[in-house]
Amino acid sequence: MKALIQKELRENLKLAMLGLIVFSAILALNIHTYSHWMKSVAAGGQGQREVEMMQPLISGGFWKLSGILCAIFGFILGWFQIHNERQRDLWAFLMHRPATRTQVFFGKILAGLMLNILVTGLPLTGYLIWALAPGHIAAPFEWAMLRPVAVFSISGIVYYFAGMLTGLRQARWYASRALGLGTAVIVSMVIMVVPHFWQALAVILLSVGILATAVWGGFHSNGYYRGQPVPGKPALIAALMPGCALVFGIATIFLIEVLLETHESASSYYRMNKDGTIYKITPRKEGWDPEIADLEGKPLVDPKTGSAPKWAEFDQHKCYEDRIWPSFNNRANAYRDTWFNNSCNRITFWRETADEFWFYCNRIGRLAGYDKKTRQFIGSLGPDGFSKDLTGNGDHFDRAGYYEPLQGVVLRGACTIYQPFPEHREVKALFTVTNENCEAVMLATNSSDRIIGAVNEIWLNGYDWNYTIVVTRCYVHLLAPDGKELWRAEPAYPEYNHVAVACLESNNQFALWTSPSRQAQNKSGGKLPEHVTWLDRDGRVLKSIDLPDLSYHPLKFDRERKLRGLAMPPALFVIFPLFEGTPWPSAIPWMWLKFSLVTALICIPIGWWLGCRYNLSLPARLGWAAFHLGFGIPGLLTFLSVQEWPAREACPNCKKLRTVDREKCEHCGADFAPTERNGTEVFEPLATVK
Amino acid sequence: MNEQPVIRTRGLTRYFGNKPAVYDLNLEVPRGSVFAFLGRNGSGKTTTIRMLLGLLQPTRGGGTILGYDIRFLPPEARARIGYLTEEHQLYGWMSVGECGEFQSRFYPRWNEKIFRGVIGHFNLKPSARVKDLSRGERAGLCLGLTLAPEPELLILDDPALGLDPVAHRSLIESMIYLTRRSDRTIFFSSHQLADVERVADYIAVLDRSVLRVCCSLETFRNSVRQMRLRFPGAPPPVPQISGLLQAFRAEGELRLTCIHYNGATEQALRALSPSQMEMVPLSLEDAFISYLGERGEKSFILAETEAQP
Repeated sequence: MKALIQKELRENLKLAMLGLIVFSAILALNIHTYSHWMKSVAAGGQGQREVEMMQPLISGGFWKLSGILCAIFGFILGWFQIHNERQRDLWAFLMHRPATRTQVFFGKILAGLMLNILVTGLPLTGYLIWALAPGHIAAPFEWAMLRPVAVFSISGIVYYFAGMLTGLRQARWYASRALGLGTAVIVSMVIMVVPHFWQALAVILLSVGILATAVWGGFHSNGYYRGQPVPGKPALIAALMPGCALVFGIATIFLIEVLLETHESASSYYRMNKDGTIYKITPRKEGWDPEIADLEGKPLVDPKTGSAPKWAEFDQHKCYEDRIWPSFNNRANAYRDTWFNNSCNRITFWRETADEFWFYCNRIGRLAGYDKKTRQFIGSLGPDGFSKDLTGNGDHFDRAGYYEPLQGVVLRGACTIYQPFPEHREVKALFTVTNENCEAVMLATNSSDRIIGAVNEIWLNGYDWNYTIVVTRCYVHLLAPDGKELWRAEPAYPEYNHVAVACLESNNQFALWTSPSRQAQNKSGGKLPEHVTWLDRDGRVLKSIDLPDLSYHPLKFDRERKLRGLAMPPALFVIFPLFEGTPWPSAIPWMWLKFSLVTALICIPIGWWLGCRYNLSLPARLGWAAFHLGFGIPGLLTFLSVQEWPAREACPNCKKLRTVDREKCEHCGADFAPTERNGTEVFEPLATVK
Repeated sequence: MNEQPVIRTRGLTRYFGNKPAVYDLNLEVPRGSVFAFLGRNGSGKTTTIRMLLGLLQPTRGGGTILGYDIRFLPPEARARIGYLTEEHQLYGWMSVGECGEFQSRFYPRWNEKIFRGVIGHFNLKPSARVKDLSRGERAGLCLGLTLAPEPELLILDDPALGLDPVAHRSLIESMIYLTRRSDRTIFFSSHQLADVERVADYIAVLDRSVLRVCCSLETFRNSVRQMRLRFPGAPPPVPQISGLLQAFRAEGELRLTCIHYNGATEQALRALSPSQMEMVPLSLEDAFISYLGERGEKSFILAETEAQP
């Protein structure tokens, strides 16, 4: 095996070197771009300030690029390792040696994995060494930030095996050789949406296991399905099925979107103008102005022209509105996000001073400062003030643990809204929730649930901080910049969990919108209205109305959904809720499943008929029937692309067509007739030559 | 000596799509023989060899090689079989010496002397890159790599394909003088009938995927006969004769090639009342071409050829 590994390493070294140069050059360019940008920022340069630019490790560009490069290199290497030797005689030269196929397989993949590590691991390690060295990146670092790039680099191995499978497979339908690539693409998508990091690793491990077994089986059968060892066949089916599902899914979407021209109609919504008037807006098809009507449904007419006002003109009167979804549950239950988003959203850019960047560390709950010029850590700020280390003896603001949009003025604690002053290394308490302004405080103080559900700053002209909205368990508070409470209003929790505050600048008033939660609305069948209350600056209620909730749309099973349901594999509906963490089986979308089962039930007799026609054994036919039940049309496509369909010829005994790959006729049990003699045969017994 | 055949197939069949490439092949190759596997292009020789070595799954049927099932050849069986492919493909980036070193690490019985001897015979330098070698030199290197493990069974798939006469002669000399050993069996496919005539004990002929001949060289040569019949004028029409392969009609002459020539055939020919009847001696090549060439009657009589549409 050592000889094989050495041969593979030498054979593919040129390709690996090319990959190494390309990958290293791209990462070097990334370092150069960041350093150049930081230098211009330190010199007082303006421009965009996004956390992704400040911490390249969590930038989408970085992990996408790494992932794409690892995938491309993995696929090409895998395909090349087989394709190099796939010419008939070279393959024979390789395979006809005193080594098992398993040894040849391991020789190839061990060398391939070494080259993969060399090409992707070496530049990435270099990059990380640079990124982790103090003075290079002026932003906080957490090990969890490396998870996306680590996972996407590892997923290159899935592409590597997909490439090998593509090179190895002998398929009647040439395009079906690349179906393994579809599987790798699906793995890349799935690893981004699973809730936990370990699930992403498990998906990669599982897919690598399946694809590697399929490739191993292919080595034993020279790429054919027939003649594979027992684990190879199910692995090949499992490796190709997601690819079939992807191809069929794309075809179905194309059919639905392009040929049927079914576009989901946009729903109506409310719009409040600066004078507090509410209009109902109904979007129309692209290029047309939306329909504007008052609450009684009368279309708005411009008194000057007598016709509908121009949308651009109407839009200028839109009031400032801030929408909030307060969350009072503890952190673990409050927000369920994917591991991927959790890894990327470890820090939030909070504010920039003349010489410093300040980041909010979501997990620690403190502000971390970095010097723009030296790119060194300065210290951190918590409710108790400045600390030279990041943890500050555990003193922290509310630890969101997930991304929250911050505008760089206030932060919330358990019961208090704080205003940090990073230039002075100080923090001031702006507003505190007490028993006086929230009777639930005493109840909640000892629990892990939150008292303050949300806090938002209102910047009316974009530069001046005008107000702060604080949503507690009892009230929605509007604060002035000095912390003085302007008014408070009582929303109808818990059914009404969506709060919006509108600033009506024309008449110095406010409007408070409260809307029902999705769950409550679904429970009521869409009967819960939206509440709108107009308040003056002192909190006096001027007017209050209820409006039908326009955002509520019960799930309708239209033609498009039915078609999508028909195209989806039934197993997907059964498995998918597991990823979402919702209790099974209540989370199964039964309506979708019903439609999906229709096609699956049609596929079963087709598969059965083909199985009979090509004389598959009864266990094989039963196995395929179960597979078709689980995977519907994609399952049938997998069946068609995996199986080799032998020729059929008439049995001389019973005259029925029989498959040529069986020793006896499946209909009458007769042997194949010996070759017909034409009188020119010359046969004689041959003796051993001594 | 073990009397069991080294290669034995039973109903070996392979289809590509709806077309049979090899059909119902029943073959036995005796131990210690030099066995030539003949046939026209596309008759199924290479397919058969690839099935014998487990490089291609048979559609049905099976066989054994050195007593092992051809579908599951273990490494120890492969160590005893030397295989020379028809295209002589090797890793272009390797040098001649590296090829030898790579190959030697798989074979415990690797004989460096043989390898050096063969590449020396072809004047190959160990430092020469494979990609820079001519086809003949590559064939020599492949032969060295095949012979050095001292295999018990040599399978050579058209070893002289595409070689110039000098390289061809070198290869054949190597084959004859280096490979011939009492306990070694050589199974080779070829289109070079002169080579076959020089080295083979037995031949098997595949005709359109079907085995039609499996016998000693002598038996085959004796089975195919060509008779020249002279007539005073235009020859009479060719009668129905069992085993007739080809008939050439010329002015005053009828030339018939038959297989299994016997008394009945002679009687049928004499019934045509030729003025003269003689047997034409045939080389193996003539016999082979007659056997595998186009069957039926060909006329070289001007009046008859003009009358043809």
